[in-house]
Amino acid sequence: MNKEETISKLKAIIKPFVNNDLAFENLSETTDFITDLNINSANLVDIILDVEEAFDINIDNQSMEKMLTIKATLEIIEAKLAEK
Amino acid sequence: MIGNDIVDLELAKTQSNWKRKGYLDKIFTKNEQLHILNSENPDETVWNLWSRKEASYKIYNRITENRIYNPIQFECFDFEHSIGKVKNNGVFYFTKTEINSLYIHTISVLNINDFEKISYQNRNSDIIKMNGIPYLKNPSKKIFKVISISNHGRFEKTVSLLQPQSTF
Repeated sequence: MNKEETISKLKAIIKPFVNNDLAFENLSETTDFITDLNINSANLVDIILDVEEAFDINIDNQSMEKMLTIKATLEIIEAKLAEK
Repeated sequence: MIGNDIVDLELAKTQSNWKRKGYLDKIFTKNEQLHILNSENPDETVWNLWSRKEASYKIYNRITENRIYNPIQFECFDFEHSIGKVKNNGVFYFTKTEINSLYIHTISVLNINDFEKISYQNRNSDIIKMNGIPYLKNPSKKIFKVISISNHGRFEKTVSLLQPQSTF
């Protein structure tokens, strides 16, 4: 899977939880789930579970701690896919 | 130092499905999960413990200026006491939680005596944000007072401590 595919898969996952549509339209690697997209922090769990399902990976607590931005999430997905 | 968190119970019902597989495991310890599942009202208990973790995390975030998503490592204790405890990395936070049919609101402090100094602020107070962290501006003294704002759905609460703190 290339990066473009990963990003589009990730975007589809986070879309239902976004509370700032403009920030979502202008999404970049530095976009922050909470401060930019206004995603409720209790919904970050849903995003993490959805990412686990969609990419068939397991996100441990240590990785989960960093999953506040698109960039960090992409890095974790890549690392976990590489481990497979 | 103070942190608070409010959960609109009606919004939480539609916004989050904590019964989904794996959800509780990601954010609650085994002991917390046991307490949730054995409680009379698990829906309410989920958001009760969640708000304690969030309110305490806000203090952590202020002190360390570190942003991290690790609710499982803010472990709740003394669930049924009027003052609860949350432990993270060897540090204890003290929590008071108000529950009614509409919302759950937790205030967390580091110093247990600070519960006597809680002051509710208006949203239209002179609030500024530095690094995403809110402060109450006091023009007469040219100081910035620590405040904590929480909003969810229909509700918002802004709290600070009455007496001058070393954290000014």
